[in-house]
Amino acid sequence: MTLLKEFILPRFAQWLIVIFVGVTITFIIPRLSPVNPVTETLARMQMYQNIDPEAVQAMRATLLDLYGLEGSVLEQYVNFWKRVLKGDLGPSLASFPLSVNQLIGVSIGWTIGLLGTSILIAWTLGMTLGSLAGYYPNRWWSEGLEKSLITVYPVPYYILAFVLLMAFTFYLPIFPLIGGARGTAAFTWEYISSVLYHGFLPALSIVIGATAHRFIMAKALTTTEKSSDYVQYAQMAALPQRKILFYYVTRNTLLPQVTDLSLSLGALFGGALIAEFVFGYPGIGTTMYTAINNGDYNAIMGITLLSIVGIATASLLIDLIYPLIDPRVRYR
Amino acid sequence: MLRKLVLLVLLALLVVPTLVGVAQEPQGLPVEVPGGRANLFVFDQIFRWGSVGNFNVWRTGGNTPHHHALMLETFWNGDQETGENINALAISGPVYNEDFTEMSVNLREGVMWTDGEEFNADDVVYTVETVKANPGLTQQGWHAQLTKFDVGVEKTGEFSVKFTTLPNPRLHTVFESRWAGLYMMPSHYVSEVEANLADGETLADWHWEAEDVIVLGNYLPQQVDPNGYWELFKRRDDPENSLAGIITGGSGPPYVLSIFYGNENIKKAIAMSRGELDVYFDVDIESFETTLDTTPTARSWYKDFPWAFPNEYSTRHLAFNFEGDPLLQNKDVRWALALAINNVELAGDYIGGLAKVTTFAVPPTAAMTGIYHEAMEPWLNELQIDLGDGEMFSVYDPTVPDQLNAWAEAQGHTVPGTPAEIFGTGWWKFAPEASEKLLIKAGLSRDGGGNWLTPDGEIWTLDLQSDPSENDAYRMGQAAADMWQDFGIDVNFITLDRGAWSQNHHVGAFEVSTPWGSFALPAGDFWPRINGMHSDFYAPAGEDYRPLGGNSLRRLVDPKIDELLDAMEAVDPVGQADQNIALNIEFIQHWVENMIDITCIAFKKLVTWDEKYWTGFPTAENPYAMPLYWFQGGKYAIQGLTSTS
Repeated sequence: MTLLKEFILPRFAQWLIVIFVGVTITFIIPRLSPVNPVTETLARMQMYQNIDPEAVQAMRATLLDLYGLEGSVLEQYVNFWKRVLKGDLGPSLASFPLSVNQLIGVSIGWTIGLLGTSILIAWTLGMTLGSLAGYYPNRWWSEGLEKSLITVYPVPYYILAFVLLMAFTFYLPIFPLIGGARGTAAFTWEYISSVLYHGFLPALSIVIGATAHRFIMAKALTTTEKSSDYVQYAQMAALPQRKILFYYVTRNTLLPQVTDLSLSLGALFGGALIAEFVFGYPGIGTTMYTAINNGDYNAIMGITLLSIVGIATASLLIDLIYPLIDPRVRYR
Repeated sequence: MLRKLVLLVLLALLVVPTLVGVAQEPQGLPVEVPGGRANLFVFDQIFRWGSVGNFNVWRTGGNTPHHHALMLETFWNGDQETGENINALAISGPVYNEDFTEMSVNLREGVMWTDGEEFNADDVVYTVETVKANPGLTQQGWHAQLTKFDVGVEKTGEFSVKFTTLPNPRLHTVFESRWAGLYMMPSHYVSEVEANLADGETLADWHWEAEDVIVLGNYLPQQVDPNGYWELFKRRDDPENSLAGIITGGSGPPYVLSIFYGNENIKKAIAMSRGELDVYFDVDIESFETTLDTTPTARSWYKDFPWAFPNEYSTRHLAFNFEGDPLLQNKDVRWALALAINNVELAGDYIGGLAKVTTFAVPPTAAMTGIYHEAMEPWLNELQIDLGDGEMFSVYDPTVPDQLNAWAEAQGHTVPGTPAEIFGTGWWKFAPEASEKLLIKAGLSRDGGGNWLTPDGEIWTLDLQSDPSENDAYRMGQAAADMWQDFGIDVNFITLDRGAWSQNHHVGAFEVSTPWGSFALPAGDFWPRINGMHSDFYAPAGEDYRPLGGNSLRRLVDPKIDELLDAMEAVDPVGQADQNIALNIEFIQHWVENMIDITCIAFKKLVTWDEKYWTGFPTAENPYAMPLYWFQGGKYAIQGLTSTS
């Protein structure tokens, strides 16, 4: 009972407050922007066609009504929360009459698939290789790995992605230029394998940089940990090196790395905008970008809500599971 | 055990996608069709669709590009190559009564909906009444336009209709496409949909699934990418009964795939080199040159220099904000800036000689040159401005096309026509000495370093902003900035993202910018394109002009422009064409004389196709249709294609 009252409930309350404040700020910010969704819709219509100015004014009133943007900001805010609590994020104003739920539903799967897999692969690779390199710093493979990854690490992501795109779609054209899969979704091997095929290059571009980042972190942590008394004691006790590395050293370096993994996974709802652009890959990043450009308040709110909930929940979960990972952390 | 399992899962996560991904046979197109590329034409989709899979094109958010070329029909299609209106569902032009309160239209017989019903007057009556009755059917503002003029329609025969309207000599433009004209509805189908709508629902809520679509065009949607990157269309079973089939006699490719490769030009060039794109709508010159290097079977409108299609209806300007820098409100200052530009260098070195030159915002196509540019030439030759102290200066240089011709030949190009045909019209003399006198007349002076000072003695700084996504506009801006700097003006050339640049236009936050536009419709009428410049729609700098519906980009209030617009509005552009054109020419003269914009070049489109799989796209040698396949009237280019196999 004390655990619930003194540890879990305060953190849960904090989680709720973070979400409420975050969403409220996100509600206000787009409305301070000069970009107005109705005006943007009208501008798109006028891009090629001559529309009588008086007809444009008449359409403006219609669109305000259709988009539910009539009434004061306070009324819109209250209506927004009413809808959100019912799980309805409202209509997308840039992709009307599609709902924001549909808009997110179409793209979020791609983002979770691409970023989720890439983050897990990069984390596993980076942590394993970094730990090994930190524990065996003078081996040839360790030095080779370190030099390679330190060389790759500072390369800006967009350059790395573009190099991969040019290398494997033009000079050696073995991967597709755009898209997430062939055909439309179906539970068939043909479709599933095409998802992996289309996702390979964007995933590789993310994994390379992310692995380098985590390799450097894991190596530094392992190097520090390796000089600890308990490691030297274990070595003098002639425990197997593998056991010392994975059961003692790596375990003690896990805390910051699990935090990093959780926050990375929580943040994946923000999408991988540059990867999506460079590889023409569908995802929540470009959905958000389009929404911002078009002043699509509802889509901005919906995606941000998802991101805020994702990161806040990741933080909450980390808080809750720290004591399980590291016995030195105690529930207070 | 658990640890081993976790390790195994992580290992599988790493290895399986890699093996499966790499083991796939290289393939780029998202779909396969029977017969492969011999049956599939692939074109560049100009946007990524936001609202996907709903073919109710009359509602807000209905996607129009490509859809209207492949599927949708109206009365007349504007052809930007010839300047003619092609009779589509109408068999002749509109016939008005004397006071423009009635318009009669005779319809084409024998055009069939894809479900086998024949198009007739009932479809017209139903479409007009339905769109007028439903405010939620906002596409292209047709509802609002029909309502504004209280348009009614009655069937006068199986294939003839008569419209009633408040006096309006331009009612026909609702049914005339440059981009799009009112799309006809299959009344026998939509009336049933309407009858079965749930309580509170309107046709704006109707979701038209791909498999239910019934159209007059040649193609039906077959597969749709939920992410908006591509759509696959299948040719109808009876292409000879589609409107495009009847008009061209061609049947078109069995399947058509539209695909969005992103806004990066180089990706389109790569896709074409991989045989995964048959035509793209435009790229920058560098990507086009890459295409020529990597795809030997590719070409654009001209087989060689100047390659690009030159007749899309638009032009590029250096536009002034009349509520920005106060000096720019002075006509002499604007003229000084125009005469400090060397347009031979601009159109040659900066644009590569690909775009035609023009002094006003009407592209010098063959049709428009005949109507406007030739008529303006004597007046331009006579045009003089006062440099101060009564010194008059003739500003026009008719030899600019000849100079560009010489420039092109010096580059090693062979020019495939007369200088006027390829490079457009004359332009303003490059006369920095005249500019000097004009600025001195306006109260400016130079300091010891040759920099221009304002009448207050401050360095004159001019902000010029542009958006690099519009390649020609951006290079035009760079050229002007370079030349004005050489002339001693401190130019701050500002590069902005498209969104920010557009937003600055909307709220008047610029001094000089690089927008585009044309005064004229393909048939030569001005009023529908420029009526938004009337001072009724004026918005001061700081306020977004768009909610007012007009085009107050320049923040200009000019009684003479109002007077001309009011006069144009009352004139029938068809029945009183001479009077209309005379008013239009007066408008151009007023615009030019006051140097309201510095118009430099017309549009070019490097619409480029690969003849590896398909041939028959219109070319300069065979200009049977405009190649702008994304406009509603662009359908004829696709209809005429034949497979190389």
